[in-house]
Amino acid sequence: MLIVKNLHAGYGTSEVLTGVSLAVKQGALVALIGPNGAGKTTTMRAISGLVKPARGEVFIDGRPVQGMDASRIARLGLAHSPEGRKVFGTLTVEDNLLLGAYSNLPKFFGFRKKSAKDLERVYDLFPLLKNRHLQSAGTLSGGEQQMLAIGRALMANPKVMLMDEPSMGLAPVIIEEVFTIIRRLKKEGITLLLVEQIAKRALEVADFAYVMERGHIVAEGTPAELHKNESVLEAYLGEVSSVV
Amino acid sequence: MDQIMVFQMMVSGAFMGLVYALVAYGFQLTYATGKSINFGQGELVMVSAFICLSLTNLGLPYGIMVLLGLLCGALLGLFVERSAVRLALEQKSEGWILLTIILGLLFFSVSENIWGRDDRPFPTPISSDAFQVFGISVTPVEISVAIGVFFIMGLIELFKRQTLLGKAFEAVSTDRDAAELMGISANRTVMLSYAISGVVAAMAGVLISPITTVGPTMASALVLKAFSVAVVAGLDSGFGVVAVGIFLGILESLTSYYIGSGWREVPGLTLLILALALRPTGIFGKAVIRKV
Amino acid sequence: MLKRLVFVLGAELLVAVLLAVVPMAVDNSFMLGLLTLLAIYGILLIGLDITVGYLGQVNLAQAAFLGIGAYTAGIVVSRFGFTLIPALFAATAVGCLFGRLLAFPALRLEGPQFALSTLSFMALTTTVLNELEFLTKGAEGLQVPRPPIFGFMLETKGFYWLCLIFFILVWIAMKNLLTSQWGRAFEALRDSPIATDAMGIGAHRHKAIAFTIGSGLGSLAGGLYAFSMQFLQPQVFVYELMVILLLGVVLGGRKSLWGVFVGSTIIVLLPNLLSNLLLFEIFSGIGFLFALVAGIRGMVSRTTKPFQAAAPIIAMGLLVTLGLFTSNIEDWRKAIFALMLFAVMVGLPEGLMGFASRYLAKLFRIDPLPFPEQAEISDVLIRQETDGRPLLVLQDLKKYFGGVKAIDGITISVNSGEIHGLIGPNGSGKSTVVNVISGLYAPTSGEILFHGKILVKGSLLKVAQLGISRTFQNLQIFSELPVIDNVMVAMKSIYQTSLPFVLLGLGQKSIRRAQSESLAILDMVGLRDEARTIAKDLPYGAQRLLEIARALARRPDLLILDEPAAGLSQPDVKKLLKIIRKINELGITIILIEHHMEVVSEMCHIVTVLDYGKVIAQGKPDEIKRNPAVIEAYLGFASEPEKKGTISRDAIPELS
Repeated sequence: MLIVKNLHAGYGTSEVLTGVSLAVKQGALVALIGPNGAGKTTTMRAISGLVKPARGEVFIDGRPVQGMDASRIARLGLAHSPEGRKVFGTLTVEDNLLLGAYSNLPKFFGFRKKSAKDLERVYDLFPLLKNRHLQSAGTLSGGEQQMLAIGRALMANPKVMLMDEPSMGLAPVIIEEVFTIIRRLKKEGITLLLVEQIAKRALEVADFAYVMERGHIVAEGTPAELHKNESVLEAYLGEVSSVV
Repeated sequence: MDQIMVFQMMVSGAFMGLVYALVAYGFQLTYATGKSINFGQGELVMVSAFICLSLTNLGLPYGIMVLLGLLCGALLGLFVERSAVRLALEQKSEGWILLTIILGLLFFSVSENIWGRDDRPFPTPISSDAFQVFGISVTPVEISVAIGVFFIMGLIELFKRQTLLGKAFEAVSTDRDAAELMGISANRTVMLSYAISGVVAAMAGVLISPITTVGPTMASALVLKAFSVAVVAGLDSGFGVVAVGIFLGILESLTSYYIGSGWREVPGLTLLILALALRPTGIFGKAVIRKV
Repeated sequence: MLKRLVFVLGAELLVAVLLAVVPMAVDNSFMLGLLTLLAIYGILLIGLDITVGYLGQVNLAQAAFLGIGAYTAGIVVSRFGFTLIPALFAATAVGCLFGRLLAFPALRLEGPQFALSTLSFMALTTTVLNELEFLTKGAEGLQVPRPPIFGFMLETKGFYWLCLIFFILVWIAMKNLLTSQWGRAFEALRDSPIATDAMGIGAHRHKAIAFTIGSGLGSLAGGLYAFSMQFLQPQVFVYELMVILLLGVVLGGRKSLWGVFVGSTIIVLLPNLLSNLLLFEIFSGIGFLFALVAGIRGMVSRTTKPFQAAAPIIAMGLLVTLGLFTSNIEDWRKAIFALMLFAVMVGLPEGLMGFASRYLAKLFRIDPLPFPEQAEISDVLIRQETDGRPLLVLQDLKKYFGGVKAIDGITISVNSGEIHGLIGPNGSGKSTVVNVISGLYAPTSGEILFHGKILVKGSLLKVAQLGISRTFQNLQIFSELPVIDNVMVAMKSIYQTSLPFVLLGLGQKSIRRAQSESLAILDMVGLRDEARTIAKDLPYGAQRLLEIARALARRPDLLILDEPAAGLSQPDVKKLLKIIRKINELGITIILIEHHMEVVSEMCHIVTVLDYGKVIAQGKPDEIKRNPAVIEAYLGFASEPEKKGTISRDAIPELS
């Protein structure tokens, strides 16, 4: 469903990604792990078009999308729940969700009616959001905002969903909840690429995982395979000997 | 007698102030989406007013003339966005400041060559015969200014709050990247904001021209006061402009009454510099946290 | 070296001599008038270029300063009988005064707000000149007799020479100023006001001085203008003039004295261009062809966007059409200025001289001035004695943003001579701690002690001057300056020459010393060979090292490194660690904020772990890694007790 080939990207003169290749099959949950600064978030941003890739290809459902504006890629069926949640703080919870479905809805009137079913589905998943649907999103707690960001991405019924660091800055209990949600999404058959700092949690839920270090993929495999792989440990620790 | 005169000045000043508020509102619209404003906004007001005048001279009825005028305003706004703003925003430079000033000058020159340098009366079906309210005379034209200003601002606010497109507008101004991820094109939203800002400018032209007459110089006088209002209220403060606009209008007419009409520009300009010095985010604006 | 002397100085000398002898060759009052105006506009535009070019702000007030200067000179001469030099002095002084006043609000502002404040100042000035009739005679105009100078009455020719002398003096003084520490500070200010403060340079002070000098020059030009025209009216100094002046600077080329000269020449000739239709057609035709060729070339080589190529062609095309269809182009004056300025802004943002100088430098292969000998690093960064006693102490420090408790009561003691690691998950408050210590934010409550004394709060500049230096997580290099200038501009206790002497060109010695010491610091971080590279062209990793070099130029007691390894490749990280160790060996205490566990454990003597704005652990790196609270903070839940005497495999990855 999502194929990335030899992606290079960066900011200004710095090249953060030096040839990233990965693939996410339909209905699979793929994790992208690696230490901070490895380029995970940049990979996400380059896929969704927030950063224009310098080289390489990105295919969504077989269609090349690299170089397009982020909004165009989103309309082609990619949803991205960004790092740091990025909810629209001044708008209400419901407005945030409605905007998640922006590309599929009429722009002036009747958008509420058309989105009712999707809205119901998201509220089913996150009953908490339903209770607060008229509250402005900026007043939600961090965990609630994360739920909202995930719900907002789901609203578009995306072909592929990117989820960037859903656990960032959250308390342990809330992280548990977030991963429960991720498991449910997996059960529903949503195609998902998950970036996560907490490698252990990510590997628990993923079907397949890539390990990134300093701008490229250093290891890949099923979680079971990766557990045996020395290079994973090395990716996180650099020179193992000096630490342990 | 004197006291009534003062009240009279204040009331007419307040009506003028509403128009300043309307033009300032146009600044806020574009500032929200693209963090840029059109320094030549006054020229848009003037050109739209001239176009309306020509349309009326063609014999079109008032209502149609207004609609066409607003349409022209929108087109002019789009023109400004495309030619002066977009490139600079893409390059993250502040070139748009100079470029919009330049376009303003171009509009100015073109209109003074097409329509002449003299001020001309602007026909309106609304009567300008005054009637008395508590001893103060008010004209229907002035009332129409108030109605027009609130009508158009209300309409736009309604659009922003009740339509999905309007919400998208808000989304872009809070977080451009996140909005892009929802499939909302930030570029198009900026374009739209300039178009609406152009409509607002045209509306201001239609409303104010019956009172002030139409001439090339109306632009610069208007735009500086609108700047004052927008900056004093805060470039992101919504309806704060109305209060500040009315205040400035009153201050201005009192100044010209007590000190002399040549000095009427001074309070607005001083206010602008003071506001910039003391509170650059405006009275109603939010303070920004510096980040590194 | 010799080549440089011949071409650079030779060109200046040649033009100066040519300008001086022209009146002897051709005795033509019209020509003289133009030349006089050229000299006056030259001074005016040099002043404008300081704000527009070097500070990078849109300054719309220069026409007003011309007016202020002109009227001051006119009034002191006609009312108080001043002679020429005192009158010019008065004009400049009044201009500087108003410039300094306007600098108060303008100081804090950037971009559109700065432009607005100068725009309203201009409008205010016109109003006041019009309305203060008892002084200025308002719209009817003020007659200004040309006063004597040292008892002599100057004829047209003599007055021209006077203006020329002023122009040459201003040129020399500005050249001295802009190549000095001041000029570098102006440019640093444009690239990053925050780093300008954090490097102890002082953003406000330099901005105010730049603006004051620019305004003073504008008013000096105004004084000369008054004596040249001998009749003043307020409506001369308005919007239109301002646009013409900006056209001069932008078209000529920003940040360049020669650009200013070319710009002045063009705007002096403009009115004559407009009075002759044929001439206008020829010039607009040339402009059109130029835009066409440049546009097509840019499109073919794909260096310009379609809009950038097409817009100037359209604008110039409109000019040509205008010339074909209107008989009186004077009426369209403003539109013509607007179209020209538009075409230049979009198509040739670097201006004519910027464009030409690239080719000229290549053509003549002029070598840059050689650097002086590199200083010994041990003389530049003198080894400090360390005593292991607390150098920096944070006492119950808190910083709230609205309801968000970014730091919630932390107490840390950093001892002299150590490398103190500060780690914690994203959003734990590390960066806020750095920003509070370095003075970017004032703390909500709590105290900071430095050298046992209470540290000033909320002032980057003062903290920097007290000996705390920092780098930035999101790079804040002075991107348009060469690498060596980035370091030179931050160099502490080297520039003692005061401004008037700098203008006279007496600051050369300290510049050379700064250069040789900067080279030593650059050598230490391995950037010696990149000294002439423009900072923004450096690779990312090198930019990080440059920030460290720049911070070292402050000769700090305490150096705060905010994630120096972020985004670096493995070899670069190794280089970085060596440098950090070398710095520490010089006795400089270091606070190191870091994500990479290997860096922390290898480098730090002591580590403080933050979570949710609180200190959750402190100790030696080895202890920290086994601390259950730390593992929980990173993992999100407590892991099982460690096996095999080391941390569990799962716990490690999360330390990032």
